Amino acid sequence: MKDSCSSASKLLEKYFDQEVTNEERSLVEAHLLDCPACQDELKLMEGLRDMIRTPVEEAVQKEDFPWVWQKIERGIQLEKRPNWWKSLRSWLDITPLHKRRVWIPAIAAIAILILIVTPLLFKKTSSYPGPFVVEYVESQTNNVMVYESEKSKVTVIWLFEGPEMESPAS
Amino acid sequence: MNQEEAEWISRCQQGDQDALRKIFDRYHKKVYSIAYGVLRQREDALDVVQEVFIKLFRSIKNFEGKSHFYTYLYRVAMNTAIDYTRKVKKFSTSSIDEDGGFQLSDDVEKRPDRILIHKELEERMKLAMGQLPADQRAAIIFREVEELSYQEIAEAMGCSIGTVMSRLHYGRKKMQKLLKDYVKEENKG
Repeated sequence: MKDSCSSASKLLEKYFDQEVTNEERSLVEAHLLDCPACQDELKLMEGLRDMIRTPVEEAVQKEDFPWVWQKIERGIQLEKRPNWWKSLRSWLDITPLHKRRVWIPAIAAIAILILIVTPLLFKKTSSYPGPFVVEYVESQTNNVMVYESEKSKVTVIWLFEGPEMESPAS
Repeated sequence: MNQEEAEWISRCQQGDQDALRKIFDRYHKKVYSIAYGVLRQREDALDVVQEVFIKLFRSIKNFEGKSHFYTYLYRVAMNTAIDYTRKVKKFSTSSIDEDGGFQLSDDVEKRPDRILIHKELEERMKLAMGQLPADQRAAIIFREVEELSYQEIAEAMGCSIGTVMSRLHYGRKKMQKLLKDYVKEENKG
């Protein structure tokens, strides 16, 4: 490439892309007449353009597009069916809360509340009945045992019949 | 944007599927060109076309009319196609050697059949595209396939014209390097 190329080559790509002014075009064309290196450069760009463009043009000509539109219509119909997530999103979309992004801390607060409350709701009560009193009364006819729990307010009374007379030994 | 198109967009923003069909009829080939340009594979490109128009229907309410509608649509198409390459990972680099050149199988090197070589070229093109950073790939497809101006590319990519020129320049240089044998062959033939 000659020294004079330096200025023209800067314009060569613009010239190739038809983005030069009339003045610039004249400059490049005058230079090209006398510069095989820049002519080659231009041919390389043309060759690359053809390689990129021609197969695309051929592919477009071969293609039949009506069925593509049918697939697009089907795709849109499928999108129109709301699922639960979309319903939730659309609900959030219509609330002003969504726009203000207030719902994020709100949901976080609800989640924390649930975490706190859930263990309380499902807390297992102890099987230990608490303090209780047992009294036992013996008499000749009956024996009585009374179980009384203060916490659960339960009173249980057992009544035992008096001891049977042992049969005399034979 | 002409009046007719503005009306389709407005109707589409209100959920009118017939209006989307009008937009599809006008732009589906352009969207397919972008998708095919990136993916170089028919079925994948068609999947992308489908996805682009479904996405468009979903997101068109965000289009405020500050840019041209087609640059907005092309951006959606390009992003979807590039995302697709990442998703399916079909742009394997396994057949590219450390110098950035390609390893041709012996039988391919020897066979004279032009059709098969054409297929091989497409395969190489796909791999070369996969080697480019997404921004350079997008700029090249917008320019070489869609023939957008620098200004339109800048609008579609949300960058300056200088950035577009830089992406095009480095992208082309890399593609020329990766496809050097084929580019020379094309020029001869």
